[in-house]
Amino acid sequence: MEIQKLLLLLFCLSFFSVDAQETFVINGTITDVASNETLIGVNVLVPSESTGVVTNEYGFFSIKLPEGTYNIQISYIGYQTISRQINLNQNISVNFEMTEASESLEEVVISDDIERIDIESPAMSVNKLSINTIQKLPVVFGEVDIVKSLLLLPGVSNAGEGSSGFNVRGGAADQNLILLDEATIFNSSHLFGFFSVFNPDAIKDLKLYKGGIPAKYGGRVSSVLDIYQRDGNSKKFKAQGGIGIISSRLLAEGPIVKDKGSFLIGGRSSYAHLFLKLTDNENSAYFYDLNTKLNYRIDAKNKLLFSGYFGRDVFNISENFENTYGNTVLNLRWNRLNSDNLFSNLSLIYSDYYYGLKLNFVQFNWDSGIKNINLKYDFNHYLNDQFQLKYGLHSTYYIFNPGEIIPTGEDSGINYLKLNNKYAVENALYFSVEHDISDKITAEYGARLSSFLRLGQDELNLYEDDLPVVYNEAQDIYSEATPIGVRSDSRSKVLKSFLNIEPRFSISYKLKKNQSVKGSYNRMTQYLHLISNTSSPTPTDVWTPSGPYIEPQILDQVAVGYFRNIDNGAFSLEVESFYKKIQNRIDYLNGANLIANNAIETAILNGRARAYGLEVLLKKNTGKFTGWFAYTLSRSEQQTPGRTPNESGINNGEWYNTNFDKTHDLSLTTSYDLNKKWQLNANLVFQTGLATTYPNGRYEYMNLSVPVYASRNSNRLPAYHRMDLSATFTPNKNGNKSYESSWNFGIYNIYNRKNAYSISFRENLDTQRNEAVRLSLFGIIPSVTYNFKF
Amino acid sequence: MKKALKITFLLPIIFLLFSCEDVIEIDLKESEPRLVIDASIQWIKGTQGNLQFIRLTTTAPYYQDEVPAVTNAEVQIRDEQGEVYVFYHTEDGYYQITDFKPVVGMQYQLSVVYNDQLYMATERLAPVVDIDFVEQTSGGGFAGDEIEIKAYYTDPADEENFYMFSFEEERTIFEIYEDQFNNGNQIFGYYSDEDIEPGDEIFIEMAGISRAYYEYLFVLRAQIGTNSGGPFETKPATLKGNIVNQTNQENYPLGYFRLSEVATTTYVVD
Repeated sequence: MEIQKLLLLLFCLSFFSVDAQETFVINGTITDVASNETLIGVNVLVPSESTGVVTNEYGFFSIKLPEGTYNIQISYIGYQTISRQINLNQNISVNFEMTEASESLEEVVISDDIERIDIESPAMSVNKLSINTIQKLPVVFGEVDIVKSLLLLPGVSNAGEGSSGFNVRGGAADQNLILLDEATIFNSSHLFGFFSVFNPDAIKDLKLYKGGIPAKYGGRVSSVLDIYQRDGNSKKFKAQGGIGIISSRLLAEGPIVKDKGSFLIGGRSSYAHLFLKLTDNENSAYFYDLNTKLNYRIDAKNKLLFSGYFGRDVFNISENFENTYGNTVLNLRWNRLNSDNLFSNLSLIYSDYYYGLKLNFVQFNWDSGIKNINLKYDFNHYLNDQFQLKYGLHSTYYIFNPGEIIPTGEDSGINYLKLNNKYAVENALYFSVEHDISDKITAEYGARLSSFLRLGQDELNLYEDDLPVVYNEAQDIYSEATPIGVRSDSRSKVLKSFLNIEPRFSISYKLKKNQSVKGSYNRMTQYLHLISNTSSPTPTDVWTPSGPYIEPQILDQVAVGYFRNIDNGAFSLEVESFYKKIQNRIDYLNGANLIANNAIETAILNGRARAYGLEVLLKKNTGKFTGWFAYTLSRSEQQTPGRTPNESGINNGEWYNTNFDKTHDLSLTTSYDLNKKWQLNANLVFQTGLATTYPNGRYEYMNLSVPVYASRNSNRLPAYHRMDLSATFTPNKNGNKSYESSWNFGIYNIYNRKNAYSISFRENLDTQRNEAVRLSLFGIIPSVTYNFKF
Repeated sequence: MKKALKITFLLPIIFLLFSCEDVIEIDLKESEPRLVIDASIQWIKGTQGNLQFIRLTTTAPYYQDEVPAVTNAEVQIRDEQGEVYVFYHTEDGYYQITDFKPVVGMQYQLSVVYNDQLYMATERLAPVVDIDFVEQTSGGGFAGDEIEIKAYYTDPADEENFYMFSFEEERTIFEIYEDQFNNGNQIFGYYSDEDIEPGDEIFIEMAGISRAYYEYLFVLRAQIGTNSGGPFETKPATLKGNIVNQTNQENYPLGYFRLSEVATTTYVVD
């Protein structure tokens, strides 16, 4: 509660400190001169006042200054800095168009890889990767992948090669909020995690928040990956694409009304299934996705943006089996400049995740999914040169379909079954202040008030003493309780409601010109749970809302950091340490059956999780040789004690390592510009093996050899390491032609390390002896990709 | 049906294209030996069910070939009417009785005394319907070219039923079913293997089992397959059965005490 008092105090202060002198506003939008694409995160600086702002997600900025003449500097990674004199004696709007640095100054050392850290900003635990950088990294099969690139940053890891999703600071994969143009993406992977759903050609900007998460974001407890798609070129028609080993891409963009409206449409499809066909049979596995964007500037103050994403994965196994899954997202946004210093965005979003199976050999179909309609109204209020306010409200209506079994054919032998749909509403109000307290101190503070209403459903089981899980003390076994009744409620009835205040706070203290220390605290609440007890997430995993039997997850995280630019930004160093704990992390009973389970509450117990660690990121930003070194030392654990002292809990109620715990995680990413045509890249990755459970004995039962297992995740897979190389060749342009192309050659895992994806234990059927079997996924894999643009 | 859904977890067969499996040396810790009680009373329809076995062993290091037999225990079963059946050790940890009297629905109590500790469990003898007929089709396996054997039975609609099938050829494969998705229907136990050939003789058993034993086997099956410890499997944990050490609960035994009525048939592959 102390934090709330502090917030209130600071909030009051903000209104007293408004200057008495007459002030005026400069505002505008910053775009790329060639494409008219708005630019996110551009620095707009007023050096004489040592103040400045950055452009928001829609390229907009606003500064309030006293009357006078100012030199304004506009600077952005990879672009030429603009410096302009402005005489401010009334409110003015100035739009800036920036030119890419490489286009005019080819002989000068290109500085487009500078991703300098912002020493003064209170934002910490944030990683940005430019699409440019991502596109040059060596990756498996040469498929440029946003999520895989994030894994090279400190604090980000995954549960093994080819596993879907990613883990941030010891958090689970379902605890990441993934936003594509403000819309939530529920499953971010194609082909069970080999690739992510984001087409790199269509992406403009991405940011990963690992801590100090602003109040604008909520609903997940671990991290926020905020991705924005490009708007499309509103000056001239352009196309680009690529041909790779696994997939090919094509993207077209152009003006609808010149300088006012534009479109973008991009498609991507894999053809791995063609290789599968070559291997022997009619099985296939493929994915495709489609990104679309339309935007139209109605007048100087209003702009409409429409974006859509559609992606599917399809697996066929002969004619017996078909599996389809994917996301659909539709999004309409309205940017409005309400006044000179108040910018608003209204988003109406529909998002849908579908998972379906067709099983012809047993004659039934399975459908499941989650749908939601989301309304967001966000405001950026540029109060004065000290205060910038962000506030807004979010509201989401969810429909969960946990599963429906539809028999196909007369003699199916399977009865129709519908697991009960679940319904919920999540609302949030937030308020956040960016405050330049003094030359040395800046802070961002605020709070999010979130509420979750679990609505009535057709049937909800009731249990004795409200306990869906019963414990047999003599046998020390948990099992599902038998329902004592069922309640049915209309949709308008609230079964259970939750209300949480989530304070957020971060502060930066500038030590010297190039150094600062930062600290942050954030509380976050997550009302949705991904139901999965496999080591690696699978697309069948079902999301379930909090409600009468499941409590929301609540996170508290503190982080401190030291940030330094060395040698005028040639190098940068970030060192951060974090501690977080999560209440109400659900855990699964041993052998819990989660498939087609209409009463998930009977398979889970309520536990907790914690994680702590140290992250180091050292970057070399300039010169022919650039890159970074990232190291994370961390621990991620969970615990599920018994509900009463008589119960043993899960794993005897002791803390155990999570499936994705890695003690050491080290990566080195380097890039070298050999000459104008060739650029070379190399990655080196070293990680502690994932936590796993080995047997410590065996016994015979029913003539079967059965392993005896030790406590959960108390063993480790062998260490994981590999090295990747790639080279990008850009031929000279043919005269004035606008056709540009490049070749990317890559070798993944160059020394062909057999990294253990899993180690399983089995009885060899020939020798009748027990043995340990290592499954390793990717050996050395060469790739070649051809990219073009015109 | 569960199996069918289960396939989705095994689905990443595309892994197989890029992955490779090899046997490696992993040093494992050794746990203290624990008593293992394999007490499956099976009353095959049409027999008296007088001859029954119980096997007692202990756990062994994971890579050890033989499990140590327990030869000096006292084993008996008492039914709810007070009748006591004493089992005598024959050899290799097998305890035998020749005058057991099985009754469907009767509750039985197992007690084992070993190293001065008393182990006990209570269970009812679960009934089972008959096998209606066996059908042979082709089109099994992912490639659709394996012989499939389907043993049909009619599930009673008015109760919750659980089944354990075993198909014995060169080795024994067991499958478990519940009736949640096909209550009251005529449905089949399913067996398919690439090694099935015309002329093969397959011995099929269908046993009625309790819900608790079904749940036990559900976990057991996940731990013995070639997929245990795989990325799409649940994390394995010590599997406790229904037998409780009354003297020292910490020193719990492994295994299970169950009683089943069993329908059997032998099928010769065409």
